[in-house]
Amino acid sequence: MSDRAIELRGVGRRYSHFALQGVDLDVPDGSVLGLVGPNGAGKSTLLRILIGLVRADAGRVSVLGRPMPQEERWIKARVGFVSEDMALYGAATLGWHMRLVRDMSPGWDERRAADLLERFSLDPGQRLRGLSRGQALKALLLLAMARRAELLVLDEPTAGLDPLVRHEILSLLKDTRGERRALVFSSHYGDDVASLADDVAFVHGGRLIAHAPVAELLRGGASLEQAFLERVGGLHTRRAA
Amino acid sequence: MNPRVIARLVRKDCSLMKGPLAAYVAAALAGLLLTALVGGPVGRSAGVTLALNVLIGVSFHVMLGPVLGERERRTLAFVMSLPVTPAEVAIAKLVSAFALFLVPATIAATALVWATPFDIPARMAASQLPLWSHLLGTLGYYALVLGAWTLFFSVVLAAAIVSESVGWTVATLTGLLFVLGNFALQVLPRLSGVAHYLRALGHGEPALPITIACEAAGIAAVVAMIVALQRRKTSFV
Repeated sequence: MSDRAIELRGVGRRYSHFALQGVDLDVPDGSVLGLVGPNGAGKSTLLRILIGLVRADAGRVSVLGRPMPQEERWIKARVGFVSEDMALYGAATLGWHMRLVRDMSPGWDERRAADLLERFSLDPGQRLRGLSRGQALKALLLLAMARRAELLVLDEPTAGLDPLVRHEILSLLKDTRGERRALVFSSHYGDDVASLADDVAFVHGGRLIAHAPVAELLRGGASLEQAFLERVGGLHTRRAA
Repeated sequence: MNPRVIARLVRKDCSLMKGPLAAYVAAALAGLLLTALVGGPVGRSAGVTLALNVLIGVSFHVMLGPVLGERERRTLAFVMSLPVTPAEVAIAKLVSAFALFLVPATIAATALVWATPFDIPARMAASQLPLWSHLLGTLGYYALVLGAWTLFFSVVLAAAIVSESVGWTVATLTGLLFVLGNFALQVLPRLSGVAHYLRALGHGEPALPITIACEAAGIAAVVAMIVALQRRKTSFV
């Protein structure tokens, strides 16, 4: 078995208005990686490639030691994915969604689901239409985490949340760190990334411009935002020269 | 391809549509009762109108709900993040779309066959043909009507899946109904070749099985095209 939860080599995806290019990335087992970058930098595309929602048109993608998309079903059965622009069926209840995911996921754990329901104070009989942003995100996290995912991929999980819910989500992710092989997430909040991640990857203009341990980037009292801006500034200076 | 996964996805779509489906089935049954039991020009007219509305309404509902709604309401990413392949999701979508259409459409088509201007059993009885041929003739005409509507539904379904646009789907649906539909009803019967064909169709001559075979081939071609185009997709959100 590979000791890397994620291995990307020369991964690219071209759109008419944007291109993700030449991404090389390793995420070792037991680590937490935070993706930082502005809107439209390519973070979501990168995360979607990992779960097979978008196909890379260049390079090689390996998740949990298996190639994507050739072993898509095997990978998806072991990866939990939550995105800020993902929704559940408003007319159905959370219990309906739990039955759907349970029927399709071999790793579904009823006890874990019950624990998360209690922790999040969610009612399985409640229809999802009308849930607050925070409650909807908790429901999505419950459905992803009750599957005992070996890898958790979260796209902007704390975007638009009030500070209390943000803290609750970050605490859960920290408390459950030992339950999975790795966590990869994107965020606009430098504090969230600094408190949760071991490593940070900066994404800018469809390229991975830096990948380093959080401690290294924060050396000298700089914030992640400052470190990012320095790297982007350096990049522009080198391009101009 | 895992049939268990496809069946579960179809069950999901049917469960989400159970309310509208019950309403369309009830309306189709009401149309059938009006046509068959009340009868007369008023009963027939009301029954046929209701049956046609069921066919049009359920087509719109299925397109805007399970087919186009997944992407619009951002639930597609949730489904695609489960242990499924894009091919399984596409096949499940086709199966659930046809199932949701065909349940009320079969009842509505019965009402339309009941109200047909071609009295096939009477024509065949006049030709002193045996009872089984009367039944076969009625079933043939039934297949012709249901086949025509299913072909219409398949083309609209293809427009919805390929374009992923509500606008183009509605344009295709209304275009087929009002432009081609009016052309078929008002212009085609005036052409002498077509009038001859319609007479042959009314008498249950080989025109009937040939037309049904053409409808089936058309539906199969549209479904094959949808599956082929789905296979080429590289983004599922």
